[in-house]
Amino acid sequence: MRGSKLIILIIALLITAIGIISIYSSNYQKEASLWQDIYKRQMIWAIIGLVAFMIMSNFNYRRLWDLTYFLYTFAVFLLLLVFLLGIVRLGAQRWLRLGWFSLQPSEFAKLIIVIFMARYFSRKDVSHISLLASKFGIFRGLVLPFIFVAVPIGLIIEQPDLGSGIIIFLLFLAVFFLTGVKLRYIFIFLAIIMSSLPFLWHFLRDYQKERLLVFLNPNVDPLGAGYTVIQAKIAIGSGGFFGKGWLSGTQSQLHFLPESHTDFIFSTFAEEWGLLGCAILLLLYYFMIREGLAIAQRTSDHFAKLLAYGISLMLAIQVFINIAMNLGLAPVVGLPLPLMSYGGSSVIVTFIALGILVNIDKHRTVF
Amino acid sequence: MFRTKIIGLIVIFMFLLLIFGLANLQIFQYRDLRGLSDKNCIRLIPQIGARGKILDTEGDIIIDSKLSYNVMILPQDKKTVGGVLAKVARILGVSPDELKKRYNAEYVAPSVPIVIAKNIEVNKAIALEELKTSLAGIIIQLQPLRNYPYRSLGAHVIGYLGEIDRWRLTKLEDYGYMTKDIVGFGGVEEKYDYYLRQEEGGLSVEVDSRGRLVRVLGFRPPRNGKDMQLTLNLQIQKIAEEKLANRKGAVVIMEPYSGAIIAMASAPVFNPAVFVNKSGESISNIFNDRDAPLVNRAISAVYPAGSVFKPIVAAAALEAGKINLSTSFLCQGSTFVGRQEFKCWETHGWQNLTAAIAHSCNVFFYKAGLLVGAQSIHDYAIKFGLARPTAFELPYEAGGFIPSPLWRKINKFKNWFDGDTANLSIGQGDVSVTPLQMARMMAVFANGGYLVTPYIVKAIDGQDVSSYHRRVARCPVKTGTINYIREGMRGVVSDPKGTGNVLSSLTVSVAGKTGTAQAPPGQAHAWFTGFFPYKNPKFVICVFLERGGPGYYSSVIAKQIIEALIAEGLM
Repeated sequence: MRGSKLIILIIALLITAIGIISIYSSNYQKEASLWQDIYKRQMIWAIIGLVAFMIMSNFNYRRLWDLTYFLYTFAVFLLLLVFLLGIVRLGAQRWLRLGWFSLQPSEFAKLIIVIFMARYFSRKDVSHISLLASKFGIFRGLVLPFIFVAVPIGLIIEQPDLGSGIIIFLLFLAVFFLTGVKLRYIFIFLAIIMSSLPFLWHFLRDYQKERLLVFLNPNVDPLGAGYTVIQAKIAIGSGGFFGKGWLSGTQSQLHFLPESHTDFIFSTFAEEWGLLGCAILLLLYYFMIREGLAIAQRTSDHFAKLLAYGISLMLAIQVFINIAMNLGLAPVVGLPLPLMSYGGSSVIVTFIALGILVNIDKHRTVF
Repeated sequence: MFRTKIIGLIVIFMFLLLIFGLANLQIFQYRDLRGLSDKNCIRLIPQIGARGKILDTEGDIIIDSKLSYNVMILPQDKKTVGGVLAKVARILGVSPDELKKRYNAEYVAPSVPIVIAKNIEVNKAIALEELKTSLAGIIIQLQPLRNYPYRSLGAHVIGYLGEIDRWRLTKLEDYGYMTKDIVGFGGVEEKYDYYLRQEEGGLSVEVDSRGRLVRVLGFRPPRNGKDMQLTLNLQIQKIAEEKLANRKGAVVIMEPYSGAIIAMASAPVFNPAVFVNKSGESISNIFNDRDAPLVNRAISAVYPAGSVFKPIVAAAALEAGKINLSTSFLCQGSTFVGRQEFKCWETHGWQNLTAAIAHSCNVFFYKAGLLVGAQSIHDYAIKFGLARPTAFELPYEAGGFIPSPLWRKINKFKNWFDGDTANLSIGQGDVSVTPLQMARMMAVFANGGYLVTPYIVKAIDGQDVSSYHRRVARCPVKTGTINYIREGMRGVVSDPKGTGNVLSSLTVSVAGKTGTAQAPPGQAHAWFTGFFPYKNPKFVICVFLERGGPGYYSSVIAKQIIEALIAEGLM
């Protein structure tokens, strides 16, 4: 195995392992065996994810180029399907029931959008390194790709899954920036988005508005939306430098903290492992993302470059927003922490993304 | 490349921000947050608002809320909780084991207080409040409960409260309803639940290890529900219910020009307070009662119309030009339609239209009906608002039914015979109507030809909403026709032989129509529907007695109601 592949695989497995012990801890004191066994299910997801990683790391990423529009259509189709037959959980309709497994298509949509963006802004001819986007006019360079991306974003926000919608939007901005599109397009685009924010506000659900308001001041609604934020802060802060120790986090163990095994897994971890553990975890994430960025820089294929940047940034943005939301630095938007949070779709998608990343590095020498 | 470097820097910056955020919480705020977590000391105390009041047209309270007292305890150590519960049990006069059982059963989370006793008496609440310092973690919670000062008055119009059921929950989840919510069932309480319902608020407080309050961290005030003002007049409603007394039936009193419901009574009644106290046995008694006291007979039950249907036949015949005022038919006590004999209830001799309405002569209407034809009678019945709900606001309104040859052919594959037309002409056969529909039909004659839509909510939260409900449409009948029939209806009361002659002794001039609807087996249903004063009608009234015998009995009740109205100066 090559160096980067080994590094990424080891880091991913370490983070997954940390996730599983945190999930185990968060449900340690719940009576129902359904909850106690949830860490076992996460192990199964991790194994499936590992298999997906191995397959993707040997699957020539160039074939994704040809599959892009098929994948895109498929993603939109799945998102539409969620509307028709999706199951409602925690007030949102995000899941599709497939036997014993509930699929969350918005997770897959994130990755597919990254592939789509990379495909859109690059050329098939690998020897041609020049940047295509810098030659695009405003329509092909900005309006058209945004329409393509806005369709899934709209469907996802309507589910409602504001978190994934925002992630995809930020990814769009980041990749857009990297394609070398004229800077003034980016400024025009940002100006339009900013000025339309007050109108977009009306499209949000009541609870989403409430959460954004609570972000500004959690004490306006201590029993409702603000509760989670306050409890998460207490959980993290009370961990101190060394933490309370595994299985002894009172906040998460005594159910003060809602969603302690999914979106707020970081709080559970931080309470029990303290600043020391958190710093190590953040370092692991950082090394993984830096490895991804390094792969992006090494490759000479334009498509691969954008793809690798997109995947690395997808991970970085998710990690950042999730942890910031745990720390009370970002509004609560409902978003998993990659590889840590409980949830099959998120784990598998993250492993697939890492597999693609490794595969890009593997093919570098061919050219 | 320049841009990739920027992206790299942004990533590093994001991670630094996270580390700083973590350090801020875990090092600088460590002591405070650790303290909060150690003492496990945030408690959430729900505070409950009051459901909206229901007022009558004058603004007097029909139903409001009164405060009740619940005892709550903050979860705490097993060691101390036993002692506290024992003390509380002594004051409440119950066994400590019972409280302990309740404590264990209702426990949700360490932060949520547990209700151990509901609706305790005021003096016990005061006693507990005084001993609060020695009782760790005891909170007296104020909870407004529905109060029914007039007991069952207007129970059918207003409805009752109960825990939300599965069917309603699936419908209402999107509007923020949750399991165990208390919602309205039937009447205004159900229809306008969204406005009436209160919003829960609460305190989040910090307590010390013994459960004593240290300070308030946050507060969201509870919100009371919106008040609902009805068009009902409390005094008139009282009179209507009193006069209906123990009989089965319904009374509707309506404003003829707008359709505002002034009184709507249905009997037998039920006591909505039973549902508040949740005494299981009396609730099941209500549900198992064979007389169905929960049914609002004024809108949700359909009955054969009988002779009160005749004005519609008269209108159809006049409009079609089949009869006019000088048309007379000879009543010899019966008439033959085909080979079948159709009876009248008396031998009336020669009858013109006004006399036939006044005497409710069946033979006249058999013949008039046969001239007009069944389909046309059916069409006019629909023009007078029958055979479909009146679009009244309250839920569970029945539509009733008017048969027609076309319907018979399509649904029953049977032919329509002249005998059926004769039956239809006197409101028998498959004709079924609600008392509200009859009152509405009468309003057309009272107000000179306008079909009103009945409504009952006047204002929500002080804001007048009656204009949204008030829908008045011209009934497509000539004014002359209306006036001829009105004359006949006046004759019902003023003619010495009129079927409603009992009402002639009143100081106010009443017009109307009686009805004796045959519904074998058993007694006939008694109808009276009319309006008064005759010149400028202020009220439309419909009195219906289920299996009450001849229409005469309903006329008597109507007379008593109108007498009481005059006596109390409400006219």
